[in-house]
Order: sequence, then C-alpha cells, then structure tokens
Amino acid sequence: MSVVLAASAGNVVVWMVWLVAGFSCLASGIAVISFRNPFFSALALIGNLASLAVMYLLLSAEFVAAAQVLVYAGAVVVMFLFVIAYVGPRQEEAWKDGPRLQTLGAVLAAGALLVEVIVAVSLAAGNDLGHDSTVGPVFGSPSYIGRLFLVDHLLAFEITSVVLLIAAVGGVILGSHVKREVP
Amino acid sequence: MTAGSWLCLLSPLAATIVILLGGTRLTRRAAAWISTASVFVAFGGAVWAFFGVHAQHVIQNYSCIDFGLRCQAPGELTTAWTWLASGNFHVGLQLLVDPLSTVMMLIVSGVGGLIVLYSIGYMDGDPEERRYFAYIAFFVFSMLMLVEGGNLLMLLVGWGLVGLSSYLLIGFWHERTSAVRAAKKAFVMNAFGDATMALALFILIAHYHSLSFGVLGGSGLSTSTANWVALGLLGGAVAKSAQIPLQTWLPDAMEGPTPVSALIHAATMVTAGVYLIARTHAIFEQARTIELIAAGIGALTLLVAGLIALVQTDIKRVIAYSTMSQIGYMFLGAGVGAYSSGMFHLMTHAFFKALLFMTAGLAIHALSGEQDIRKMRGLGKVMPFTKWCFLAGALALVGIPPFSGFFSKDSIVAATAALGTWYGWVFWLCGIAGALLTGLYTFRLWFLVFPGEPSAFVAEHHHKHGRWGEGPWTMLVPVGVLAVLATVGGWLQWSPLWHPFTKWLQYAAPTLAAAEPSNTLEYVTSAATVLAGVAGIALAWAIYAEKRVAIPQLPAVQRLLENKFYFDAAYDRLFYAPASALSVALRREIEEPVILQGGPDLGQTTLDAGGVVRRIQTGLLRTYVFFLAAGAAALVLAFLIAK
Amino acid sequence: MSGPGTTWYLVLAAFLFGIGALGVLIRRNPLIVLLSLELMLNGGNLALIAFSRHFADGAGQIFGLAVMAVAASEVCVGLGLVVAINRKKLPLDVDRLSELRG
Repeated sequence: MSVVLAASAGNVVVWMVWLVAGFSCLASGIAVISFRNPFFSALALIGNLASLAVMYLLLSAEFVAAAQVLVYAGAVVVMFLFVIAYVGPRQEEAWKDGPRLQTLGAVLAAGALLVEVIVAVSLAAGNDLGHDSTVGPVFGSPSYIGRLFLVDHLLAFEITSVVLLIAAVGGVILGSHVKREVP
Repeated sequence: MTAGSWLCLLSPLAATIVILLGGTRLTRRAAAWISTASVFVAFGGAVWAFFGVHAQHVIQNYSCIDFGLRCQAPGELTTAWTWLASGNFHVGLQLLVDPLSTVMMLIVSGVGGLIVLYSIGYMDGDPEERRYFAYIAFFVFSMLMLVEGGNLLMLLVGWGLVGLSSYLLIGFWHERTSAVRAAKKAFVMNAFGDATMALALFILIAHYHSLSFGVLGGSGLSTSTANWVALGLLGGAVAKSAQIPLQTWLPDAMEGPTPVSALIHAATMVTAGVYLIARTHAIFEQARTIELIAAGIGALTLLVAGLIALVQTDIKRVIAYSTMSQIGYMFLGAGVGAYSSGMFHLMTHAFFKALLFMTAGLAIHALSGEQDIRKMRGLGKVMPFTKWCFLAGALALVGIPPFSGFFSKDSIVAATAALGTWYGWVFWLCGIAGALLTGLYTFRLWFLVFPGEPSAFVAEHHHKHGRWGEGPWTMLVPVGVLAVLATVGGWLQWSPLWHPFTKWLQYAAPTLAAAEPSNTLEYVTSAATVLAGVAGIALAWAIYAEKRVAIPQLPAVQRLLENKFYFDAAYDRLFYAPASALSVALRREIEEPVILQGGPDLGQTTLDAGGVVRRIQTGLLRTYVFFLAAGAAALVLAFLIAK
Repeated sequence: MSGPGTTWYLVLAAFLFGIGALGVLIRRNPLIVLLSLELMLNGGNLALIAFSRHFADGAGQIFGLAVMAVAASEVCVGLGLVVAINRKKLPLDVDRLSELRG
C-alpha cells in the first residue's frame, strides 16, 4: 500500500498524512497527561494509538500497525476502561500549594532527557540517517513477520509467550480474593 | 657420648612435660621426686658424655703431644634435623659435646640435682609445689640447652629460655607485688642483653651465612665489625651475668624462693655470661679491646658489689652481691684470656655459693621466714650443722687454703698481672682489694649471724625441724655434699703445680699466651690474696665480733652504698619514668578515645549515615521515578560529553 | 523512502517519550501514571519501527511486537495492583501510598 501511496500523489500526500498523524499524536499525548478524569485520558490514548498505527503504515510495517490497533487499542485500553469503571468516578485533587520543587525538577529532567535524545540521535547518527534503504513489497507483511518469528527470532517468540503467561497468572493472583483464616 | 648428651638434655624436659600434663593427678611429692630424679638422670647422662669425650681426649693428647699429629678438638657435633633453612643459611638442631660443654653439663646437672633435692624439703607444704618443680625442671633443661647448643642459634634459644625460667621462678609467689616487679625487672634487663646478642648474630649471618661455632674463628670480618659482634655478645653476657651496668636485677631477684636463688642466681644462669665468653673466645680475641673491656667491667663490678655488700641487712642480699662480685672475678679471668681459670672459678663458685644460699635457706626456714641478719645473732648455738657448713662456704668464698676458692681465684688474679700492661696491674690490685672486701663482708655476715648467744628473736622463733633438728634429710644431705665439695673441689687444680682442668679445656678454650702467669707470679699473687682475705676476716672480727673497732661513720658513703651507688634511682629516672609517663599518656590519648571508642564510634557513625540515607526512601513513587529520570538524563549527558 | 526522513520519526518518538515521562513524573493517580507509561513505550516502539524501516531489517519490527506484548503484560499486572489497592479502600494516590518508606 505504501508503494501505491508513494507512486500516486507523490511526496506531498505522504507529508500531509505524516503531519496530520504527527500532530494528532502529540495532541492526544498531551491530552492523556492533562485530563483530570482518567476516563478521558484513556480515550485520548486511543487517539494516540490510532495515529501511531498510521505512522507504522507509513513505515511499511503493516502487521505491526494492525497488531497495534488490535492489541493496544482493542485490549489494553479496554482493560484500562474496565478498571476505571470499576474504580469509580474520582477526580484527582488539584495540586495543593502549586507545583513543588520536586515537580519542577521532574519537568526539567524530562525536558533534559528529551533534548539530549534529540541531540544524541542527530550527532551520533550523523550522515547515516540520510540514506534510507529500499525495501521490497514483502517487507512488513504478515508472512515476513511470521517467517522471522519462526526462523530467526524463535527464542524471543517463546520467551514472549512465557512473559505473557506469567503476567496472566500475576493478574489473576492480584485480582483474586484472599481468604484469610480467622484466628 | 652423644647419646649421653641427648639424655642429659631431654630428661628434665620430659619431667616438665609429665608434671604439666599430670597436673593435680600427681601428688605434690610425686611431682617433686619426678623433677629431682630427672635432673639426676641428666647428671648420669652428663657423666656418660664426659667419659666419652675423655676417651677421645686421651687419644688426642697422645697423638697431639707425643706424635705431633694434627690435633683435632675432641668432641662431637650431633644434629637432630635441619631446623632453619633460608637460602644458603642453614641451622640445625645441634648439640655439641666437647670438653667445655661437658664441664658445664656436669656442673649444671650435678649442682642442680642437689638443689632440686634440697627444694623438696624447702618447698614442702607450698600450695603450688607442682608448678615450682615443673619450672625448675624446665630451667635445668634450658640451661643444658644453652651449654650443649651446637651452634649460636641453639645457644641463643637456651639463653632466652633460661631468661624465661628465671622470670617464672622469681615471680613464683605471684601474690607478692615485689616478686612480680622483680621478675619483670629481671626479664626486661635480660631482654636488652638478648637483643644485643641477636644483633651480633645478625652481623655474623650477614657475613658468613652460618651460625656454627666455626665462623667465630673465621677471618672474614674487619676489626670494627668483629668489635661490634663482640660488643653485642658482651651485652648479652653482661645482662645475663648481672655485671655493671646491667646488674640491678640480681638483688631484686632474691624475691624468689631460696633454692631458685641458689640454682639460677648463683650457680648456673648468671655464669652463662662467662661460658659465652669462653665459648666464643675466638671472636673476642679478634676484638681484643672488647675483651679487655669485659675484664674491666668484671674488675669494676667486683669492687662495687663488694662495697655494697658491706651495708646489706638481708642475708640473701649479701650473698647476692657476693655472687655479683665473684662473677666479676670470672669476667676478669675470661676477659684477659685465662678462660680455663674463669671456668674453674665458675665451678668452685657453683659449689660454695650454692652451699651458702642453701645454708641461708636452712636458717631462714628455721626462723619461719625471717631474713634480717640484725635479728639473727647466735644462730650457731641452735643450728651447729648449718654453722659449720656455712663456715666452710665462707672460707671457700674468701679464698683461704685449702678450701676451693683459693685455688681458682688466685689463678685469675695472677693472669691479670701476667699481661704486663698498666691495666693488667690495675686489675691485679682490684683483685687483691676484692679479696679484702670479700673477707670483710663475708665474715661480717658470719659474725653477725652465727657465733655468740642467741638473740631474743632467735630464742623465740627458732623451732626444730625434722629428725636432726635443723631440717629434713632432703635439705641436709645436699648441704653436706656441697660442703665437702666446697672444701675439696679446688684440689682439682693448682696452676703452678698441677692443672688437669686447663689441660682438659685446652682444645675448646685455650688460654691466651699473654695471660699465662709465671710460677713466681702465681706464688706471689696467692700469698697476696690470702693475706688480703685474712686481713678482711680480721677486720670483720674486730668490728663485729669483738666490737673493738667502731664502724667508721661516713654518712655520705653509707648513703651511697645503701642506695647501691644510685644505679636503681638513675635507671628509674632515665628509663622507667619516661616510659611510664609515655604509656600513661598513650593510654589517655590513644587507647581510650581511639581504640576503645573506635568500635562504638564506628557503629554510631554507620547508624547516623544510615539515618541520612534513609531519607531517600520516601516510599513515594514519584520520587523514585524522578531520581530515575534525573539519573538517566545525567548519564546520557555524560555519554554525550565523552563522545 | 518518500515523505519525511527517519530523523523526523525519531524526533517525534522522542517527543512522545518526553510527554509520557512528564506524565509519569507529575500525575498522582496511578491509572494516569500507567497510561503515561504506555505513551513512553509507544514512543520507543515508534523509534524501533523507524529504524527497522531505515535499515530494512525486520528485527526492529519483531522487537516492537515483543515490546507490545510486554507492555500488555505490565499493564495487566499494574491494573491488578490498582484493583487490589482499591479493594483495600486505600486512596488511589501515589503520594499517599508510601508504606515502603524507610
């Protein structure tokens, strides 16, 4: 599909899609961290995930985009919504006494990390990021991913399944009622 | 021959081990007899070794003198195993059986055996009798190791062990502070001598890579190095033999039981210094100046000790100063080169000095522990056997013929004059003056204690012991034996006429030619010393018995003598007081605040630091994440800068 | 590749990560914290996929899928914690949940 996009309207369309998706990504991200009500934050996250899926499509990673929508938006966020609903409506209290020193320090730290990452990337990568490799049509397709999982990265595949199993068990334990022996 | 020497050495050690391991399972009597028997067995071993060497000696004499064959010193060196091996420096666990060591073995085990037998009676009833007998057997073993040691290291081991035994036995009655203090004083002063000896041995190792007795005759040392070695050895000898300036420990050592004083501080340990000079004479001859200094020390000590003995009031102290004085004679003899004369005097001195101590012990025992001679007048009437034995010892000490002291002392004094130099004559005069002093203080003691009517104290406190009234047989028999030896022991040698003793030692410790007096000189000297001794006796009789002459009133001199020439006070001021102040200061400044408090302080600091660090554990998620982020930012920054 | 170069994607990923980090550091409701955590993970994922496209190496996408799986598991466990906390009637405020303080 990416080849079709590239071939048809040229760069302009790609750029436009990228800008829209990028903007909505950032906007929804800011929305996630800003809303008082967690329900709205979860909804904003869905928006973020959708724009990211578009980004993945632009990067010729079709399977990953599909998985993103299915897993993240379809399962993870739904889980969040379940728990938010279970926990009940509660607004987080507004900050008392304004931002504290720790909060300021936190903001600064996050900002510094951000700047550093950008600087590091641009410095370190240098010219390397200039030339992209060409990819064939099969790149990013399910068959491609499937072959990689089963041939080159079989161990990662198996370990991931184990991690998922452990998480499932953990979730069940955490969520279960613990019957106490009454002394 | 060598089996005899091993038997001699190990028998007392076996007794020590048996008594220590047996503990209270042995009765006190059993421990005492085990100890005594072991020393007599050692004596048997010594006799065996002696005859072995004698056989070789006879052959040597024959071949050396009659056939002019190459002479090899008789004796045998026996090695148990190599004890120390470092590079090309090897030292073996060696025993040397030669004429000199057999003489010492016989004296130590023979006189020692008699004294240990005596102490069965003396220490009877003491609650810690077993410990005493273990220690005294250990001492005999150590002394035998010293004299039988086949190389300088074994000698040093024995040297150190006798110092240890001396410390243990002086402080035997450890509840008495004075005894403990005396033991410490003896040990510290001996340790000084040990240190100088060790330094001398280090120099020898550095030059020769060996400590066998043969290196002493080597020619690889410059005169100054030889001087240092000899000086180190002399330091050890002076400390061990209580000569000036390291003499202050010997009178204090009288705090120990009387048999200990007899054995260690009269007959054997304190004579180890003389033995050392005789054994290492080869190096002393290379350092002739040091050897003459040794003679000078001996001359000085014999006068000083004799003077101090004039004012002593404790019976044992008089005899102790007398010992110091007589060892001065031995040092004088060995120092000028008349080794066999010095050794002969060592032998006779062992007889009569042990005798004097043991008779003093009989008196002390009879008077329930009293040692002040001013209270003891008239003891001879109630203790005749003691009186006659003491008299024999006293006459031997002064050097009246035919008692043993006469034969040995005079040859020493004659040898000094034989040198012909100015200091030789000075030493000669010192020797004669010493004989006068000896007569004076010895018979002062005799006249104050034995003749006349019993004093009130004696009448009140004296009580009879044993079947013969003066003590048990275990005490009387050794005294009797020694009285006989003190009388006839000197007949072994009279230099002008017959000298088997010197011939016996001629391979091990040949007399220097310079110190061989002519027969005329010998006769003149003998006459002079006997006259001086008789003069001293007469003076003592006049002052103390007949009271015809008053004691000269010289308060300054009296104070000088009573304070022992202020040696003790000087050492106290020079060494003890600063060291004591330093240790108190160190304790106050370093030990208490730093070392004792250091542990608790460290703990407290750790707790405080933990308290500070604890504040980071706020329990708040956001703090932790903040630290994560800040840390990550810092790290990335560092990486960027590094790149 | 037509359209923006890899650098643009990486910068976007960095911003996303930064926003997520800010959210984790500032918000007090654990649910919002978990959501912000998701944002950070997604930022990282974007960078991974971008590099995968840049080097034409599928391993980046595989890694991204693994990250997704791990994120899902982590959210599962995290939400289980939130539910347990809520059942104990404790306040849902990370500043008040400080029983592990030293």
